[in-house]
Amino acid sequence: MTNAFGIGILLFYVCILIAIGVYGGRVSKITREDYFMAGRGLGSIAVFMALFASNITAFTIIGHAGFAYEIGYGAYGYVIGWSIFITPFTYYLVGYRSWLLGKRYGYATQPQVFGGIFKSRLISLLFLVLLLYYTLPYLVVSIIGGSLAFTTVTEGLVPYWLAAVVIIGISLIYTIPAGLRGTVWTDIFQGTLFLVVAAFLLSAVARALGGFSEITGQIVESNPAMLQRSLSAELAPINWFSYSFVNSIAVIVFPQIYTRILAARSSSNLKQVSLYYPLALAAIFGISTLLGVWGSVAIPDLSGKDADNIVPLLIHQFLTPTWMVLGLVVVLAIVKSSIDSQLLAVAHLVTVDFLPRFKRITSQQAVFRGRILLVIFAAVAYYIALVRPGAILTIAGFAFSGFSVMLPVMIGALYWPRATMQGACAALVIPAIMLHLWYLDILPQWTTFGFMPVFPSFVLAVLTLIVVSYLTPSPPPEQREKTFGIFDRVFK
Amino acid sequence: MPVLTGTLFWGAYTKMKFKTRLVLIILIVLIMFLLHNSFWLWELDNRLPLLFGFMPFAFSFYIGYALLAVLAMRLIIALGWPEPPEEVINQISDQELTDQ
Repeated sequence: MTNAFGIGILLFYVCILIAIGVYGGRVSKITREDYFMAGRGLGSIAVFMALFASNITAFTIIGHAGFAYEIGYGAYGYVIGWSIFITPFTYYLVGYRSWLLGKRYGYATQPQVFGGIFKSRLISLLFLVLLLYYTLPYLVVSIIGGSLAFTTVTEGLVPYWLAAVVIIGISLIYTIPAGLRGTVWTDIFQGTLFLVVAAFLLSAVARALGGFSEITGQIVESNPAMLQRSLSAELAPINWFSYSFVNSIAVIVFPQIYTRILAARSSSNLKQVSLYYPLALAAIFGISTLLGVWGSVAIPDLSGKDADNIVPLLIHQFLTPTWMVLGLVVVLAIVKSSIDSQLLAVAHLVTVDFLPRFKRITSQQAVFRGRILLVIFAAVAYYIALVRPGAILTIAGFAFSGFSVMLPVMIGALYWPRATMQGACAALVIPAIMLHLWYLDILPQWTTFGFMPVFPSFVLAVLTLIVVSYLTPSPPPEQREKTFGIFDRVFK
Repeated sequence: MPVLTGTLFWGAYTKMKFKTRLVLIILIVLIMFLLHNSFWLWELDNRLPLLFGFMPFAFSFYIGYALLAVLAMRLIIALGWPEPPEEVINQISDQELTDQ
């Protein structure tokens, strides 16, 4: 599948990542703020690419294209439609107020922000536990998906275990020395790379299939149902509505996304990101959708896991071997830019929100321990990715929903001075338990009234926060002033 | 870029009370949610011609939706995203963080 030119591209790509890691390590200071937060100095392009590249996973090119292959053009709106607007909106809704508190009080993570607002170590601990609980399986699934994609694109030349080693190993090479700065710089490089290459890939596939209009004409003739959302059982309105609460509003709750927002240099940087984010999201998922749907007529009769491989199959069947290498680079770029940020996020959370509970540590010690934790989490994730235990995969299956149902507490804490610590605790725990009862089939399906479990859990979180807060004493004025005094001075 | 970030029009909006502006923002979000869940428009999926010869309505709707999202975000920024006063965001130094 390779030629000298292709191998050259691959080596060039890896060398750039290593160079970024080495240079990033040299210019970074050995302080907690610099290592985990890049000194809170990220500019517009850095924040934009950091959020975008961290948010795009192997699912975009592999899973989503496979979904579009089976469902048709409706997959585009179903999976990403609401996200196009609401994800950047949450960067304003939750991101900006959190950023203000981060700038003012030095908060760097959700446990610190929301533990600080409620002045509660219990809230801080609950956020820490839930974020780790959902992020670690999500990280493992990202590694599994990326490694499988790597193996597919190389036609089995690189076995699964080696693909996982390569993906994790390269991520660590620049993340360990350079921390957030290293991952953000590589995000700029990798995010630009996968957007540009994916656009060229779409154009090349279209040309190979006879042109944009020709391939679409074939779909209209041979499978017109691909154009009509109302013909798909999967896209039933109740599913479409429910899915609005799954991936789109979960993004701001991901610790790797939240921390990057707090690391922005200025409010203007966040505004620029929120403004242009819809276009980037629409572009990458649009490309993936078109490739998937076109694949349904170019290589018909695939199903399940085979359909997920439609993009590598299209490249293999219709393009030159060099494109295969470029496709591999795109897969590596997409996978690694999300895995490195997840690894750094979990190491960051444990370093700054868990270890100091037992012993005060200096800024330099935090960096040292963070680096060790990066290696430990990478090794654990690798082992789990090899073993693939069912329990971990089950949790990963509803991790997005788990993140989503934490959002009402985050919004309540930032917008409602009457929200209490007890209300927030209950609104974090009860919906999480209900989500498990529904996803593990302990409660009968009819109890969700036909919706996906995430929707009733979300509503339950909102109601629990309101009811329990009103049943418990109002937060003391000085506690409210600490948060809402800041907001009152900004939002006049 | 003051036009794109909405700061150009900030003066006009600041005359409204913040709560009024917040209501307008909620209205924008609701309109966007309604548009995303506009199931009645699905009837047009097989009736409208392909945009640029290759984009059926189920696809091109979300290209338009993305452009509308940019416009919506620009309005939201203008309505409810003021720049913070410098004294509000005085950052705590890393040494202070270590001492906490």
